[in-house]
Amino acid sequence: MRLDLKSKLASVFFLWVCAFTLDWPVNATLILLAILLRYVVPGFRPTSQRAARSIVAFMSYSTLIVLIVVSLNAVLLPGGDVLLIVGGIGFHESGALFGLRTACRLVLLSLSVLLFFASTPIREFIRFLQGTGFPPQLGLVLLLTLHFLEQLPDRINQIFAAQEARGSPVRANVVSRARAFVSILFPLVLSSISESIDRGQALELRGFLGQGQMPVFENRRSDTSLLTMSLILLSIALIILRILNWLIA
Amino acid sequence: MAHRVILESFSYQYPGQVTPALADISLAVPKGQCCALLGPTSAGKTTLLQSISGILHKHHASGFASGKIVIGDESYAPLPEEIQFPKIAYALQDPYVQISGVRETVLDEIRFTLENLGRWDSSTDDSILSLLRHLGIDHLAERKPTTLSGGETQRVALATILIAEPDVLLLDEPLTALDYVAQDRLSDLFKGIKERSTILFTDTHMEFALAVADVIVVLEKGRMVFSGDRKGLLDHIDSFESILPSHQWKELIRTVKVSQGPEATEAILKAMETI
Amino acid sequence: MSLRAQFTRETSNAALPLIAFCIALNLTVGQITGALKIPIYLDSIGTVLAAVLVGPIAGILTGTFANLLASATGSPTMAFFIPVVVVIGFFTGYVARLGWFRKWYLVVVGGLLQGVIAAACSAPISAYLFSGVTLAGTDFLVLYFRSVGNNLLESVFYQGLASDPIDKLITYSVVFVLLRSLPKRITSRFSGASNLPSNNGAP
Repeated sequence: MRLDLKSKLASVFFLWVCAFTLDWPVNATLILLAILLRYVVPGFRPTSQRAARSIVAFMSYSTLIVLIVVSLNAVLLPGGDVLLIVGGIGFHESGALFGLRTACRLVLLSLSVLLFFASTPIREFIRFLQGTGFPPQLGLVLLLTLHFLEQLPDRINQIFAAQEARGSPVRANVVSRARAFVSILFPLVLSSISESIDRGQALELRGFLGQGQMPVFENRRSDTSLLTMSLILLSIALIILRILNWLIA
Repeated sequence: MAHRVILESFSYQYPGQVTPALADISLAVPKGQCCALLGPTSAGKTTLLQSISGILHKHHASGFASGKIVIGDESYAPLPEEIQFPKIAYALQDPYVQISGVRETVLDEIRFTLENLGRWDSSTDDSILSLLRHLGIDHLAERKPTTLSGGETQRVALATILIAEPDVLLLDEPLTALDYVAQDRLSDLFKGIKERSTILFTDTHMEFALAVADVIVVLEKGRMVFSGDRKGLLDHIDSFESILPSHQWKELIRTVKVSQGPEATEAILKAMETI
Repeated sequence: MSLRAQFTRETSNAALPLIAFCIALNLTVGQITGALKIPIYLDSIGTVLAAVLVGPIAGILTGTFANLLASATGSPTMAFFIPVVVVIGFFTGYVARLGWFRKWYLVVVGGLLQGVIAAACSAPISAYLFSGVTLAGTDFLVLYFRSVGNNLLESVFYQGLASDPIDKLITYSVVFVLLRSLPKRITSRFSGASNLPSNNGAP
């Protein structure tokens, strides 16, 4: 089964709906399932080593966050039974439950976004957007941003090195460092704005947004539209159930 | 098909400026010929190219222009108000910004122009490849455009507008980023392009113009101080000492002229074409 | 001017590369502040720059795309705060059009007001979607406000008030000084040129 972008987006949407409508034990299970997806479903495999590492890093980071959020809430928000007492500090049940709910929701939401982007090259995502009738100029902006993102760190390093060579006080007090910040930011922004003007001219001179017809990008027909539809219907059902539940309560 | 380019008493003043950037310029470039616009910085060379391309009026609509510009059979009084691409193609001075930065390969970068013009389909890739071969850069077709050297970038930048088959090609200081080998290649390239497009280019030195141009115009502070052919420029070479920077060739030309007399001019020009 | 005409105007060929640069600036300014160990975010500097120099739609696009790309590159929660950057982009573009970027004291007022608005917009998102936890250092501040008896929404809002106005004030001031140092021949290329002082770029 080839998983196309539409069904991947539907999966992300479904996980979001779950995060807001279901209780923490379900969400915790979904987190484990989502991690499993990354290994089992080819469409969710990370596209690069870096992307794979970002998921691992996120998981270890969020384990730590879950522990901190749960224990801090348990300590700071009194209510319910005292679960345990360590060194005179009590851990309360209602705080711990609140912490678990919060932490599971946050991790599930973040993980679904991360899983989507780790397994989807950003250029492919932009091409997909263009296929759904996204204005061509916005597609160009996103692609140009990627170009600037590749260039900017080098340019910053160059200006940084030049400032340091002139004795810029990187390790001095906060006022001097703020001054150093300005002396790096200003040349960077000024040169980039002039470059932007030239780039805009070059686009005009190559007929972009001119008289010609823009190419029509067509998204390939999906062989998983059934999956997409089911996920969306399931999400809607969950939302309705939740609303009904809330009204009855 | 190459078009003639004619300017009749053309003047232009930028909004908010007190002196004109171009004053009373008249020149005629027959179709299929190459015209060099020479002069020091801020002589008005770029403004002249921009007025022909249509971009000047688009960005400075409140500027004051007078005279007439004729391109092929169409006459614009005083100047084109819209960008004339693909009829007229204009290559900016910095080839790096000419590359869009939004495409992953050189081939795709050139497709971008055809897509903008609504001319791209799968069959046009053949004409892109044949253009790349003509420019001697077909081996770069699958390379990432932002990883190329200066000379390579410039030829790719040129390809991005030549693919539109313009009738007039405007080049702003095309020699800036090039070493001598690349300059030679450019001169060969001009000879090949001229059949298809009339060329106007700007430069601050006279040597390249002496090797390739059919028409040479020298500008200073927005005024035309010379208009003629290569022989005419060589004959008046000493008059431009103050505005066109001295170069090793100029010294050599002067020495040959002094030692062998005026008949040496033809021989010098022939020699320059082959260098 | 209709919204469509406004959109076309603010996404002209001249503005597109600038918007792209501003998005990239939002995402990389942290590299500079981080290297210099300056304790501020300034991550809406590109949004403010685009909103003043081009207009509110450019500001909204800059903020939205920056948050989207930040989500795609390792900060997944940023996507949920897109409504906040939409408000920042719109507010800045709007006050710039009212001429607030022509006088320094209006820039100060605008920056502080923007900070309060940003805090007010992000509070419900932080509170209802994330219960105040955004995986940032300021989470502890939220817990502190809660432990002294405030409800969740109030606590998140107070936390925002403690950091947003000063951050936005600095952002507005930096952009104001930056734009003053730009020559008129550059600013005149953008549709927001009239938002800037008329003596802009004068020596």
